[in-house]
Amino acid sequence: MFRVRIAFSKQDPVRWLSHLDTQKAFERAMRRAAIPLAFSEGFNPHPKIAFASALAVGIVSFGEYVDIDLAESVDPEAVKERLQKAMPEGFGIHGVKAVPPGTQALMAAVNRAQYRLRAPLQEPFDEAAISEALTRSLAETSWLVEREGKKGVSTREIRPGLFQLSGSRTDDAVLLEMLVQTGSEGNVRPEEVLEAVCRYGRLLVDRERVRILRLGLFVAQGERLLTPMDVL
Amino acid sequence: MSRKNEISKILEDELLQKVTKPTRYTGGEHNQVKKDGSQVDVTMAFAFPDVYEVGMSHLGLRILYHLINEQPRMAMERVFAPWPDMEKAMRSRGVPLFSLESRRPLTEFDVLGFTLQYEMSYSNILNMLDLAGIPLFAEERGDGDPLIMAGGPCAVNPEPVAPFLDLILLGEGEETLPRVLQTIADFKSETAFPAGGADCGGEQVETGAASPQTGKAHRGDRSRRETLLLRLAAIPGVYVPAFYRPEYEENGRFLGTKPMRPGVPEKVKKQIVTDLDKAYFPTTSLVPFMDVIHDRVMLEVLRGCSRACRFCQAGSIYRPVRERSPETLKRQAEELVKATGYDEIALTSLSTADYTCVEPLIKELIATHAGQKVGLSLPSLRVDAFSVDLAKEVQKVRKTGLTFAPEAGTQRLRDVINKGVTESDLMETVESAFSSGWTGLKLYFMIGLPTETEEDLEGIARLAEQVVYKGTAILREKGIKKSVRVTVSTSSFVPKAQTPFQWEPQAAMADLEAKQAFLKQRLRDRRISYNWHDAQISFLEAVFAKGDRRLAQVLHRAWQKGCVFDGWSEFFRYDTWMEAFRECGVDPAEYAYRAIGYDDPLPWDHLDFGVSRQYLIREHKNALAASLTRDCRVDSCAGCGVCPTLGVSIDLRGGDHVPSPDRL
Repeated sequence: MFRVRIAFSKQDPVRWLSHLDTQKAFERAMRRAAIPLAFSEGFNPHPKIAFASALAVGIVSFGEYVDIDLAESVDPEAVKERLQKAMPEGFGIHGVKAVPPGTQALMAAVNRAQYRLRAPLQEPFDEAAISEALTRSLAETSWLVEREGKKGVSTREIRPGLFQLSGSRTDDAVLLEMLVQTGSEGNVRPEEVLEAVCRYGRLLVDRERVRILRLGLFVAQGERLLTPMDVL
Repeated sequence: MSRKNEISKILEDELLQKVTKPTRYTGGEHNQVKKDGSQVDVTMAFAFPDVYEVGMSHLGLRILYHLINEQPRMAMERVFAPWPDMEKAMRSRGVPLFSLESRRPLTEFDVLGFTLQYEMSYSNILNMLDLAGIPLFAEERGDGDPLIMAGGPCAVNPEPVAPFLDLILLGEGEETLPRVLQTIADFKSETAFPAGGADCGGEQVETGAASPQTGKAHRGDRSRRETLLLRLAAIPGVYVPAFYRPEYEENGRFLGTKPMRPGVPEKVKKQIVTDLDKAYFPTTSLVPFMDVIHDRVMLEVLRGCSRACRFCQAGSIYRPVRERSPETLKRQAEELVKATGYDEIALTSLSTADYTCVEPLIKELIATHAGQKVGLSLPSLRVDAFSVDLAKEVQKVRKTGLTFAPEAGTQRLRDVINKGVTESDLMETVESAFSSGWTGLKLYFMIGLPTETEEDLEGIARLAEQVVYKGTAILREKGIKKSVRVTVSTSSFVPKAQTPFQWEPQAAMADLEAKQAFLKQRLRDRRISYNWHDAQISFLEAVFAKGDRRLAQVLHRAWQKGCVFDGWSEFFRYDTWMEAFRECGVDPAEYAYRAIGYDDPLPWDHLDFGVSRQYLIREHKNALAASLTRDCRVDSCAGCGVCPTLGVSIDLRGGDHVPSPDRL
C-alpha cells in the first residue's frame, strides 16, 4: 500500500460541490489519470480517500488536503502532473507527497483552519467603527452561538475556539480574517464568528450575501502552525 | 454589465447558496464543451424538461451534445428545469432561464430543443419557456425569438404540445439534427435572420399582428421565420405543426390532420440511422458532479427490439433491430472509461441480453476493465436463466440487483401482450438467481392490461409467492440465514400511439385503484413488498399519450394554475388538472377511455413511424385471440412494414447468429 497526500484548491465552479461530490471527483480523476487506486475488500469495493476536513458547500478554499491510497507506488511528481490534467476545472493540485507508514491520520492531525470572510455592510461603518466592533466583541470572554444540527438547535460556546481575528473595510463590506479550531476537538465556523462579531460588536451586515474563503488548514504544534504537508 | 455577467453575479452571490443541490445549475462538469457564441454560425440549447439529475441520465442528450459540438460552426449548450426552490429564487430576482455552459439567457439562442421523454413533463416545457421570457405559443413568436424544437419518443404523438412548438423531429436525431441546424445557419447568413440578440422588445406585443386562428398577438414580424420553417419542413423527418391543421366535425369528432401549405408532405416520415455501427457515438461524456440517476458510462449496444410486446411503444418506434459490432463496442467502452473515469459501464438497449453473442462481449469487457474495478451493469434483463448467468458474470466486479418483468400474472394474459415468457421460464430464472447467491429480486408487472380479470391479478400474487417459496427453500438448503426479499412493482397500463393497443381504452382509474388494493391485500407476506404507480398520474398520461391539439389549451391552463413537475408525485396536483379540463370544456375521459375503431382517424395519422396500420390491426386481433407473434430476428418476418418503408433491414453484428432455444 502506498499513500499520497495531496494539497489542492477548490474554486469556481467546483466550490459548489458537496463533500461526497468532491470525493467522487477525485476518484474519477484518478482513474482518468491512470493512477492506480487501492480499493477496500468486499462486495462493493471503494477507493480509500480521506480528506482533512469537510468543506461546506459554496466555500472557496486555497488549502485543502486529501490522503489517497494507491495500489502501487507512483512518483508524487507524476501524480501531481497527471492529476492536475484530469481534474475538473476549478480544482488546483498544488503539491503531492508520499505519506510514510505510521503517519498520523490526516483528519486527526488537522486542528486549525484559517478563513477570510466578506460581508456587505448594511450601514456606513468606517474603518474605525469596524475595529471598535472587533475590540468590543473580543472583550467578551464568552461567545454563544446557535447551531442547527440533526437534533434541533443547540447553543455552543465558540470563543475558546477563536485564536486570531482581524478586520478591515473594503468597498462597502467588512473583511474578517480568522484562525479557528477545527477537527476532532470541535469546529468553529466562520459564519458563527461573524454572527458573534455582529452581536457583541454591534455590526450590521447582510448575512445573505456572505462570501467565505478558506485560506488553509493547519496542524498547531505549540506555537507553531504547520501545514499537513510540512508534517510529513 | 452584460446580461450574462449579471446572471452570473446574482447566481454566485445569492441564489446558489440558497438552493438545494447547487451543482444542478453550475455546469463546469468534466468534458463540458464551452464555445464562443460569436465564433459559431448556429447555437442551440438542449432543453430537458425535468430536473438536472433526470436529464443528465438521458443517453440522447449525451449523444447529441457531443455530436453537435464536434461540428466546428455549431454550438450546443444545456438547460434543465430548475427545481421549484430555484425557480422561486430566479423569479424573485428576475433571473431568466439560462444555459449551464455560458449562462446566457435562452432568448439569445437560435434554437431551443426540448426532448419529449414522457407526457408528464409537458407542463415543465411551458414553465421553462415562460422562465426564459419566450412566448409560449408558436404563433405568438416573431422573428426575434428562438425556434422551439422538440424530439424524442413522445414525438410519436406530439399533438397535445404541437401549438407550443415550431418544429418537431421524428425519429433518431443523429442525422436530422445537424441538417436542421445547418439549414438554419445558412438561412441566417442569407437573410440576417436575427434569432440570437432578439431585437423586438416586449412593447411590440401590442402592435404585432393578430393570428387569424386565435386572435393572439405575436411579437413583430414573422415573415422570415415562416420562410425558414417552410425550408425546414422540406427536410425528411421535420414536422412543422403550424403547416398542418386538425379538422373536426361540428360535434367535435376528430376527422384528421391536413397539410395547409403546398410543398409540405402529406405524411412526415420518421428518420433512422441505417448503420448503427458506423453511426456517431461520442467517445467522451459529461461527468456530473452530483449523483444523477444513471451515473455511469452508457454504452448503447443495439437499438430496437423485435420481441413485439404489444403494449410497448419503444418496441414499435425504434424498429428494426440494429446492433453495433463487438469491436466497436469494446473500443467505445475503453475510450469512454478513459475519458470519464466512471467505475461502471452500463450496456444499454431495450433488451441487452438479446445482443447476439452478448456473453463473449461481457466476458471481454470484464477482462479489460475489472483490474481498474470498473464494473458492468445490465439495465434490462430477460426472464431466463441465460440472463441470470450474464448477471452472475457481471457481479464478479460489483454486486448488482436483479429485476425481471413477467408483466402479467397468467399465461393467457402474457400471450395477449405477446410477452414470450412462461411460468417455468420464471421459476427457472428465479432458481438460478437464488442458487447464484442473490437473496432478493424485483418483479415488474402491469395492471389494467386489455382483457385482464381477477384471475390475472391473483396470478401476480401467486407468482410472487412461488418466487418467495422457491427462494426460501434454496436459501435454507444452502444454509443461508437471511430472509428472501421480493419486491413487486406494478405500473398501470397506458395505451400508446403506434402500438397494437392504441385502439384500447385505459382501465378506469377506480378499477386500477381497486386492483392495487386487491394486490396490497393479497401480498401480505412480510418477505414481499409491494409498490404501485399513482393511478391518477397514469390516467393523465393516457390522456396525453392519445390526445390531440385541443389538449394544448388544457395544458396551458393547468400550467397557469401552477402545475409543474407532474411526474413527481409530491408536486402532482390532480384536482387542479381536473379544474383545468373543466374550465376548457374538455373531457379527459374521452381521450383515455374511448375504445377507438380501426377506421377512426387518429391524431397521429399524419406522422409515419413505419409500422403499418394493417400490422397493428392484425396484432391487435392476435392479442384478443391470445395468439403469439414471433420475434422477427429469429423467425419469419411478421410484416410490420418498417424495413420496406424506411429502406432498412435488421442488422446483427454481434457475431455468428445462433438462435437461442429459449427465444420464441
